[in-house]
Amino acid sequence: MDTILRTLTYQGIPIWRNVFVIRWALQIVSGLLVVLLVSWFFINVGNAIEDRDIPYGFSFLSREYQTPIGQHFLAYESSDTFLYAFFVALTNTLIVSVVGVILATILGIVVGVCRMSSNWIASKLALVYIEFFRNVPLLVHLFFWFYVVLELPPVREGYGIAQKVYINNGGLSFPWPSPNGTGPAGVWLLVVALAIVAGFVTHRRLAIRETTTGATSYSLVLGVAVTLGISGFAWLLLSVGLIGSEGEPPFGLSYPEPHGTFGRISGGLTLSGGLIALLVGLVTYTAAFIAEIVRGGVQSVARGQTEASRSVGLSAMNTLRHITFPQALRVIVPSIISQYLNLTKNSSLAGAIGYSDLTNVAKTMTQTAPAVSIFIMIMVAYLAMSLVYSVIGNLYNRHIRFTGG
Amino acid sequence: MSTDSRIITASVLPPPRSVTGIGGWIRVNLVNTWFNIGLTTVFGFILVVALWYGLKWVFFDADWRVIGTLGGRIIIGQYNVEAACPGRDCFWRPQAGLLLVMVLLGMAWSVSGGGLTKRIAVLFAGALVACAFLPYGLDKMGLDVRLLFAANVPALALGWAIARHTRLGTVSWIAVLAFCTFILILVLLRGIPGVPYLKPVSVLYWGGLMLNLLLAVVGIGLSLPIGITLALGRSSRLKVVNLLCVTFIETFRGVPLITLLFMSQVLVPLAFPENFPQNSLVRAAIIITLFSSAYMAENIRGGLQSLHPGQGEAARALGLPVWQTTLFISLPQAIRNVIPAIVGQFISLFKDTSLVYIIGMLDVVEMSRAFIQGNPEYLASAKEVFVFLAAVFWVFTFTMSHVSRRVEQHLGVGKR
Repeated sequence: MDTILRTLTYQGIPIWRNVFVIRWALQIVSGLLVVLLVSWFFINVGNAIEDRDIPYGFSFLSREYQTPIGQHFLAYESSDTFLYAFFVALTNTLIVSVVGVILATILGIVVGVCRMSSNWIASKLALVYIEFFRNVPLLVHLFFWFYVVLELPPVREGYGIAQKVYINNGGLSFPWPSPNGTGPAGVWLLVVALAIVAGFVTHRRLAIRETTTGATSYSLVLGVAVTLGISGFAWLLLSVGLIGSEGEPPFGLSYPEPHGTFGRISGGLTLSGGLIALLVGLVTYTAAFIAEIVRGGVQSVARGQTEASRSVGLSAMNTLRHITFPQALRVIVPSIISQYLNLTKNSSLAGAIGYSDLTNVAKTMTQTAPAVSIFIMIMVAYLAMSLVYSVIGNLYNRHIRFTGG
Repeated sequence: MSTDSRIITASVLPPPRSVTGIGGWIRVNLVNTWFNIGLTTVFGFILVVALWYGLKWVFFDADWRVIGTLGGRIIIGQYNVEAACPGRDCFWRPQAGLLLVMVLLGMAWSVSGGGLTKRIAVLFAGALVACAFLPYGLDKMGLDVRLLFAANVPALALGWAIARHTRLGTVSWIAVLAFCTFILILVLLRGIPGVPYLKPVSVLYWGGLMLNLLLAVVGIGLSLPIGITLALGRSSRLKVVNLLCVTFIETFRGVPLITLLFMSQVLVPLAFPENFPQNSLVRAAIIITLFSSAYMAENIRGGLQSLHPGQGEAARALGLPVWQTTLFISLPQAIRNVIPAIVGQFISLFKDTSLVYIIGMLDVVEMSRAFIQGNPEYLASAKEVFVFLAAVFWVFTFTMSHVSRRVEQHLGVGKR
């Protein structure tokens, strides 16, 4: 009777049990809570800025920074603006990131391949390397290398190799190309860029020809040859003065030379001790992670793939190159990209060993400029770097993904 | 019938002599191809050179006295200096906290019935007792400190006996006790105003390995639940919740921890009213926890995505409401699938606690660096200090990854 009555007077789902209402209520409440919390923070920051006369805004960017930056790869004077100094610091981080990524990838792949080797000594050595370097904080690595570099002899008593390369506690100095006049150098660099594009196109077309017709086309060799040929030809033309003016090569080599009472080294390129310690620490640390990723990726390829490839007659080397590695790459690339990001972010530890990276310079900047604005700038810079790496990684990933063709 | 008897009578031949014994092992593993012979030569050479110079350095060239001079500062930092603790009689408080941890470890040993827990307990108790007999720093370390170190073994035995003979010997009781112990240790370290022997010690003076471990414990304890919440939020279909979680995760993952820590020091005090109680230790703990949670969320999301959708559908078909499906069906499987990633995150959290140097806290790494900086006569021994620190960190992190592998085996990951 009771049931019938309830059925007859059914009014729909009560509002507090309606999924639609619950969902929206939940979203609105959580959204409101966060908005309230964030605005409370902002009001407090606003109050604090007014009460304590803390400067804010971005007008400081055009002021002179007036603080030296240790190692810098772009020309920098203390009288340059905050904006330019920030840019110089960003380049410092970018250079560490790019060089570190390249070296760490090479070392990581070598260690990873050794780890998978059937050779007992190689495999165990790689294991010890990975287990040791992964499990110790990067900061300890960096300090270790930093003090190792500090223990090198001073500049005057430092080691020199054939009067060309100098190693001492000031860092590592080696010959570096320097442009002979901006005109020819610029022209040549432009030609090289074009040559790389041409080489890439050649490689691509030959590769397509090879897959469609089966005719051996040496796509990689010919692509590289095209690039080198065009660049070399342009170099020759510029050197003999056919299109340039002075008739000298676009780039010369600048050699490091010690001089003065303290034996300061000028010329060439000098990597400061902090930068070397940072690079060695970052590369050896990240390589341990990359090695594990490489191993995991290769082991994720089904055993049958290798066996099938060997049984149709491919050699061990060709099996790795054409069968195992391309499949492993799909697993490897996303994780390796996140390691690249980690390396870039870890380079912010550089401040501890005296290399002026983005975070270190920004930290110094907060003494004379508004912290809020600087924080926003660093965040944007790091997020932009992450984005660039992710985009490159995703593009590459799309290039190698399984298309079934 | 005749086929069967033939199989039974056929004798099993031993493996050929070329692959057995030491010679066989070498032939199979080191010199099976020309390429491997080359590899063996090169790596053997590297190994011999590395071992020769490494061992020579460790046993003859290195001057380990600096570790003795650093002494207790490695463990408690500046906790017992005059400014932190007038009278310098506070050293017993961290050590009492350590004894409590040892009691818990003893209980865990008893409950787990030996195995890995036993080995960990014995390893740590042994290391601590060895500290009591260290020849270095004789002038620095009094008899009381040595006795407190040596008391770790009785503490371990006490815990073992408690778990064996009382009702506290269950996993849930140990979990409850661990939580209480942690709070107790915090109170013990912080002190209570007005109570004799428990003078308040400012958190600014907490340091050394103690600080690293405290931050790591807080981070590990909180980042897993927060990470799970964020992961669920990110995979939720509710747009606002999803957007909030994605923003939080991507912001914290995009910026280096060191930048966040530094900015927390500059900006967070501004974001709260002036009289709001806060200090740098709490701020560091919160930032490290949130940073780790963002990474944890991504790991757990990976686990959730690896589940077959049939699992959730089956649970729904059985009539489980959404929260029960999530709590009892999805999450346990998702977490089991990503245990290595979670423990990896714990390990990197523990390593990241060394970054608090940026806000002026003297953790074990910064303590050592500051010591070398302040005493140039030890500049030549800097390498020894950092090699020692590397070994200390390595023991902890290696234990963690070892435990994770055991847990994985226990839960049968990849077998079901």
